Amino acid sequence: MPARERQLTYEDLVRLVELIKSTSHFSEFRLKVGDIEVSLRRANGAASPRTEMAVPEKHEAVQQSFAPGMHLVRAPMVGTFYRASAPGAAPYVEVGQHVEPDATVGIIEVMKLMNSIEAGARGTVREILVENACAVEHGQVLMVIEPR
Amino acid sequence: MKKRFDFVDVTLRDAHQCLWSTRMTTSMMTPILGAIDRAGYSHINILGGAVFDVCVRYLHENPWARVKLLCERLATPCDALTRGQSLYTFELFPDDVVELNAQVLARLGVKVFTVYDALNDNRNLESSVRAGRAAGMKINCWMTYTLSPVHTDAYYVARARELVGLKADYLCIKDPSGLLTPERGRTLFPAVVKAAGKVPVQLHSHCLSGLAPQVYEVAMQSGFTHGYTASEPLANGASLPATEEIADRALRLGFSVSLNKKALKEVADYFGWLCVREDRPAGKVAAYDPALYRHQIPGGMISNLRSQLAAMKLEHRLPEILEEAEQVRHDLGYPIVVSPFAQYIVTQATLNVVQGERYKTIPNEIRKYAAGYYGKLAAPLSADFLNRIDLKEKELVNIRPGERIAPGLPRLRAELGPSASDEDLLLAAFYDRKLLESLSKPQPEYQYRTTPLAELVAWLGARRDVEYAHIRFAGTEMTFSA
Repeated sequence: MPARERQLTYEDLVRLVELIKSTSHFSEFRLKVGDIEVSLRRANGAASPRTEMAVPEKHEAVQQSFAPGMHLVRAPMVGTFYRASAPGAAPYVEVGQHVEPDATVGIIEVMKLMNSIEAGARGTVREILVENACAVEHGQVLMVIEPR
Repeated sequence: MKKRFDFVDVTLRDAHQCLWSTRMTTSMMTPILGAIDRAGYSHINILGGAVFDVCVRYLHENPWARVKLLCERLATPCDALTRGQSLYTFELFPDDVVELNAQVLARLGVKVFTVYDALNDNRNLESSVRAGRAAGMKINCWMTYTLSPVHTDAYYVARARELVGLKADYLCIKDPSGLLTPERGRTLFPAVVKAAGKVPVQLHSHCLSGLAPQVYEVAMQSGFTHGYTASEPLANGASLPATEEIADRALRLGFSVSLNKKALKEVADYFGWLCVREDRPAGKVAAYDPALYRHQIPGGMISNLRSQLAAMKLEHRLPEILEEAEQVRHDLGYPIVVSPFAQYIVTQATLNVVQGERYKTIPNEIRKYAAGYYGKLAAPLSADFLNRIDLKEKELVNIRPGERIAPGLPRLRAELGPSASDEDLLLAAFYDRKLLESLSKPQPEYQYRTTPLAELVAWLGARRDVEYAHIRFAGTEMTFSA
C-alpha cells in the first residue's frame, strides 16, 4: 500500500481552534506540535471586546387618582395590552361607548396566550389609560368606566 | 437469519431543534450531505414544525427551497413531519390547505410523510393521511407518549388500532419529554407491536431522563423495526440517542444493522467541529432526575419560564408554579406536556399562583381547548375547572376540528393572483406578508464538500483581528497577510 500523507483531521482542527480562541488576548500565537505549525499575529492583542449588559429602564410608578364611584378595569397579570382582536381591526371599545358587564374591552397577552378582559360593570367608558400593544403591570388600571 | 434494526436520522431536524434552538442553516448541512447519505440510514428526517417556522422567522430561508435541495442531494428517502391539521404551527388549517401541503412536499421529493397530533386525536390526521397517500408518499403516524392515569397501555393500543385503520405504513411512539422507562416499555411496546400487526413500529425518544438508550433496547427486543437517532455530537440530553451507541446496542443484542461506521465517523467529526465553529453546544448525557416525572415540563421550557418570570419579577415563585402545573394538568384532562399545551399548563399555573385564586382568568386558547376546538381531550375536565369556566352549549365542538374550517385556498388564490406558486400560497396561508419579504433575499452559494484544512482557512479568514497567519501541515504550507 502506498504511504499516504497524513491529512488534518477534524479532531486536530477542533483542538487547534479551541487553542486559538482561548488565547485571543495575546497578539501573537505560535504553535508547533508534531507536523502542525501555526503562527498568527492579531491586529489588536487587547482583550476581546466585552459585551455590555443592557440596563433595563426603570419605570416610575405614576400616581393616579380617579373620581369616586368610578369602576376601574385592571390588568389581571403582567402582560401586553391590546385594544383590538387583531392588528388593523377596530378596537373593542372607544371612550364614550356604553358597555355591558360581560363585554370584552381588551386583551392581555400573557406568556403568548390571549386573555379577554371584561368590562366588569355596566356603564360608559370614560378613559382608556393604556395604548395598544403596551406592557402593563399586574393591577394597573386599563380603563375607567362610569357605572350607571 | 438475523433480525434487522433500522435507523432514521434526526441530525438535520430534531437534534438541532433541541440543542441549538433549531438554528442549523442549509449551508451548515450541505458539506456533509454526501457522508450522511452513505451512512446507511433508512430515512432522513429533514422537516418539522419548528424547522419550518425558524427558517421563515429567524434564518430568513425559504423552507421549501431547503426541502427541495435536501431531497435532491440525498438518495436516502427523506422524511417530513407535520403537526397534522396544524401543519407547522399551532392553529388549525382547512382541509384544502393541508392537502396542498402534502402535494407540495411530495413534489419536492419527500418520500415519507410523518404526522402527529398533540392530543392524539387521530381525526386530526385523517386529511393529511389521505392527501399524503394520494400524492404517493409513505405515511408514518406518530402517537405521543405521556404519563397520566388515563394514558395506559390500553389507551395506546386503542390509538394504534385507529392508526392501523387509517392504513399507516409505519407507526411510531414519540416520547417528546423522555419519560419512557425500560419497565414501561416492557408492557407498552409488545402491546403496541401486537396491535400494529404487520405495520412496522418505530421509536422516537428524547434523552432527558438518561434512560432512552435502554428504552431503545427494550423496543428492539419487543419487535420495533426502526429507531430515530442523531449523530453523536448532536445526540443525548434534550436530543435523541446517538446512532453510534444504539447501533452498538443493537449489534450486541444480535440484530443486524446496515450502517457504515466510516461515514458515521465522518459525519460526527464534522458536527463536532460545527459545534466549535458556531459556538453551539454539543449534546451531553443527562443525569437521571426524578422531578421530570412529576411536572413533566421539559428543561428547555423551565429555563424559558424562569426568564419570563424574571422579567415579571416573579422568579421566586417558580417552585409554586411547577407544583400548580400538576394540578392544572389534572383539571384540564391530562393534556400532553408538549407545544402548545405545555404553554397552556404553565401559563394557567402562573395565572393561578399570581392571582392567588384558581381559574380567575382563563386564557381564550384554554377555553377553546376545553370546548374541544382542537380535538378530543384524553380525560374529562375536572368538576372544579368546569365550574369556573362555565362553557356554553354553543361553544362545544364534537365533530372533527378540520370540518369546521372553511376552505382557505380560494381566498388566497384571489389575493395572490394566478401566477402564485403552490409554495407561495401555502406560505401566505401560514404567515403574514411582511414576514415573508425577507425570504426573497439571495441565499449564499452552498458548498457540497469541505475538509478540515479548508474549514481552518475559512475560519481564520473570517476573523477580523488576525492580520497575519502562517500554517504548515505535512506537505501543505500557507501564509495570509492583511
